[in-house]
Amino acid sequence: MAFEAPVETAKGSVIEVVLNGLQLGGQTALPFHWFEGEFSNPPRVGFEVWDVAPTDWAKPLAHVYSGVWSEPVAWARMVVEELGAEAVYLKLMSTDPNGLSRSIAEAAGVAEMVADAIDVPLAVVGPGAPEVDAEVVQAVAPRLEGRRVLLGPASEENYRAIGAAALGYGHGVIASSPIDINLAKQLNVLLTRLGLEENSLVMDPTTGALGYGLEYSYSVFERTRLAALFQNDQKMQLPIVAAVGEETWKAKESRAGDDEMPGMGVAETRGILWEAVTGLALSLAGADLLILRHPRSAELLRATFADLGAGGAGEGVAQ
Amino acid sequence: MNEELLGPGSCSAPAAPGSLGRVRATDPADSDIVIGVKPGRPADGADGFVRCAVACLHLARKRCEEALAAHDVSTRLEFPGSIYHLPIIYGVTGRPIRMLADVAWVLEEAEQRINSKSAAQLRISHSSAALDVGMAVLWLAEVIEALKYLGVGPAPVDDIWLGAAADGIMRARGIEFIEESTPGFAAVIGEAPSVETAVALAHEMQQKSLYVFMAGEGGECLATGDGFDRLPTIGAGGTTLAEQLIEGGVQLGWDTRLVPFGREAFAHVHSIGFAVRVAMAFGGVEPGDCRTLFAYVEDRVPAFVVLLGPVTDLQCVVAAGAMNFGLPAIATHDIPTTLPSTDCTRWRVVPRVPPHDLVARSIEVRGLKTVVGEMDIPVAYGHVFSGERIRNDDLHLEMGSPKAPGCELLLTAEDVEDGRVTVVGPEVEDLSFGSTVPLGVLVEVAGRRMQKDFEPILERQLHHLLNEVQGLRHMGQRDVLGMHLSHRAVEAGFRFEHLGRIIHSIMHAEYSQIVDRVQVTVFTQTEMVLTLLERAQAVYRERDERIGSLTDEDVDEFYSCTICQSFAPNHVCIMTPERCGLCGAYSWLDGKISFQINPAGPSRPIRKDNVLDAARGSWEGINSFVHDASHGAVERIDLYSLLEYPMTSCGCFECISGVLPLCNGIFTVDRDYSGMIPIGVKLSTLADMVRGGAQTPGFLAHSRLYVGSPRFLSGDGGILRLVWMPRYLKESLRAEIEAAAVAVGHPDLWEKIATEDDAVEEEEVMSFLARVGHPALDMEAMF
Repeated sequence: MAFEAPVETAKGSVIEVVLNGLQLGGQTALPFHWFEGEFSNPPRVGFEVWDVAPTDWAKPLAHVYSGVWSEPVAWARMVVEELGAEAVYLKLMSTDPNGLSRSIAEAAGVAEMVADAIDVPLAVVGPGAPEVDAEVVQAVAPRLEGRRVLLGPASEENYRAIGAAALGYGHGVIASSPIDINLAKQLNVLLTRLGLEENSLVMDPTTGALGYGLEYSYSVFERTRLAALFQNDQKMQLPIVAAVGEETWKAKESRAGDDEMPGMGVAETRGILWEAVTGLALSLAGADLLILRHPRSAELLRATFADLGAGGAGEGVAQ
Repeated sequence: MNEELLGPGSCSAPAAPGSLGRVRATDPADSDIVIGVKPGRPADGADGFVRCAVACLHLARKRCEEALAAHDVSTRLEFPGSIYHLPIIYGVTGRPIRMLADVAWVLEEAEQRINSKSAAQLRISHSSAALDVGMAVLWLAEVIEALKYLGVGPAPVDDIWLGAAADGIMRARGIEFIEESTPGFAAVIGEAPSVETAVALAHEMQQKSLYVFMAGEGGECLATGDGFDRLPTIGAGGTTLAEQLIEGGVQLGWDTRLVPFGREAFAHVHSIGFAVRVAMAFGGVEPGDCRTLFAYVEDRVPAFVVLLGPVTDLQCVVAAGAMNFGLPAIATHDIPTTLPSTDCTRWRVVPRVPPHDLVARSIEVRGLKTVVGEMDIPVAYGHVFSGERIRNDDLHLEMGSPKAPGCELLLTAEDVEDGRVTVVGPEVEDLSFGSTVPLGVLVEVAGRRMQKDFEPILERQLHHLLNEVQGLRHMGQRDVLGMHLSHRAVEAGFRFEHLGRIIHSIMHAEYSQIVDRVQVTVFTQTEMVLTLLERAQAVYRERDERIGSLTDEDVDEFYSCTICQSFAPNHVCIMTPERCGLCGAYSWLDGKISFQINPAGPSRPIRKDNVLDAARGSWEGINSFVHDASHGAVERIDLYSLLEYPMTSCGCFECISGVLPLCNGIFTVDRDYSGMIPIGVKLSTLADMVRGGAQTPGFLAHSRLYVGSPRFLSGDGGILRLVWMPRYLKESLRAEIEAAAVAVGHPDLWEKIATEDDAVEEEEVMSFLARVGHPALDMEAMF
């Protein structure tokens, strides 16, 4: 008698958020458990683009982008046309109050140009300071009206301002919470109470890189997804976005040269693997959209997803 | 048809006793319109109300005829820059007005609504009749205003008047309503008694971040029964608030939030239309779904009507129209009325409010959340300063205890003027470096959702709230209050007055859900401080008795706390009046207030429901909540027993109690005890057994003060089971244990509890107990 693998069927499903034709979420099974339910939308790979040239990105990244990174439009085109980005995550770092602190209107203009130049989903986020993020989003939202982008990061401090702008101009919101499943849920509740539909929200429960809190993020992602599928907790059924590139390329292991970390492998590939491993772990935990930086780690992840039988085929696993 | 206009939750039925009361026009013979209930009122006023509506109908008709004489029926009729057609008509009926020809059905529909109501109907308890007529007039007014854009009637945009706002403005400003950076808008009709009053009123509204939408003039009311053409200039000779503000040199416009829509009261369709468009743009309200529309506007676009000066028929009709959307009317003049006893706002009409009280009263009646801007204080404020100490050489002032009397008291009060700060006694500049001064801080608050029980909780917030001031250290609480003020802060200009400013701002910022108005008095003069101290001590006593006497039986609801699920995912704390959270930091009352402030937060009220085991403290409602909130990990908890289903723990507990089987009793140990416990383990081992949401029969983690509660393991025999605890824990809880022991008839219990000095092996504890005659030995077996 042949062995029959036990099948655990979920009570709930992840909400499908559709942006510019790209579907996020929508599954009724745990990540890559295509044998237990619907898992037709594998984690999507988006790339991070800034509106100013970064001054502190690691060498392997500079090799790839230094030719385009002073031109946000060219940079965005490159990640879409050459690197196959399924989404662009445009971070308006020029408005960083601790950095250039440039005019928000100007940055919003850049966002509009980038939106005009690409045909994949776009997320536009502020520099990561709640007050400035709110101002940035309020400036960007009207200029991108009709395009339905993701705006954020919306946190407990600024979710009203960001949510209101998204509501008013028909955009989605990235709900960002500090590695805490209850705070994540609370923010989702607050945003839906503000009037946003669940299918215009994605959640970012904060990414910790390998060696820098990955296990915490893994646990929060996993529990969020378990709550969504097996407890049918409707406030936890949003697709999850993970800012993998940003976090992994901060790690000193990704940045240190060959001499600085002997025994830790070649600098060029170390960071790429750091990014790929973090991305893979979080994909297994429930991430639906990975925001990456390096094209090689994107390739590695896509190949792995294919091997895991994303899309329902599963041949890769059989082999 | 009437019912259709009443949104969900409308108070048409329950508010019947005395809803709107009468709305009075100036002509005494024509004065009382009974929109509400009062049967047996004179008939005249209601006639005025209907006559006015009919006049509007005639005017709209006449203007339409004029328009059709000059334009083709297919001429576009619209407000410029808006995709929402004539938004009130569109939002309420779902029917877009696109061209002149479409007006016909509006006129018919309005006529039908107006003519179907007799004055008699308006007088009796059909409040909806008045709302219905009001709505019809808003539609007519929308048509009249739109026709102005075709050159019929006075120009809509003229001189100071802005006319309709384009969608771009509506959305940019609408965001402020959704994000609550404005508390709402005031739709003002009429004129203030003087230019000075007008300016003061506008400034006060600006300070509260309100939008002021202005249209319609004041002045004596003219008869509306004839001369329909003259209706728009109904307040002949009167001026408008907007014009008064211009005369007073005040800048008007969207940027100053003082928005003059038009000279005629009809232009208030732009106020209501603004709210309706916000509902469609932000709330996704479908045109025609008027129930949702009314509810949305009432909830998310809070607003109210202000009637300045003698109230005219037209003002009444417009206000009645606005009432459909939940706008109460607040008037400076006489509208004798009986207020409904519900706190439903939409049906309220408040008369005779003097201009200087108008804003505060409106905010309260409409239940607006005040938005307080940046604090204007000369020093920095923030978390980083909360641990700050003030060195001796920088210590400018020592206030209150220990060297002088000091106390702080927060009370609910009726007569609270928001933002008022009074300093009684010398100010900082009157005191030299190194002085000591007595200090009394009296905070008086008012709010529709404020409860007396919240007073001590809010009062306790003063500590962290004032400690975040740079250069100020706050110590103690209640009548052992002291503060240190640094020389640098004094140099920077810090004064006692700023204590009040800070308390006012932060109370609003953090507790706007419960507090509407805050006023602060700072006493620095000895006799005054002593008087306050005496009053405060009486209040503290009363509070302690009240809180102390509140038992688990007195309430139907306990509160949960899931803050610690961030690291103990399946743990749920249940807080009852007689048992605070196991961390000792959150009480039942904290849970209650936390829920008021943030219903989506970590604390929820949980109904006890059916009792399963009264002695051990097990209820169906509690168990079912715990089951869900622990994600299925915990099926049942007994709140008063540790034997089978003790409450779980996150890890933040202050104490652990456990069974000592030989002794027929329990031990209680706290976190600071590092020695051996009579069951042969140390606290660290024990902690591992109970934390992380685990339910470990025989062991319970709890707060220190729970030991003194009458509910301390009452299902297992209570305090009399307590046979062993570390010496200093026993010392520090002496008063609590003795009081609890007296209550159960064993005044000498405290003496009989063993400590590590007496015994660390269970057998030794046993012989100690036998020697002192501990009551546990005579109790029935624990299990």
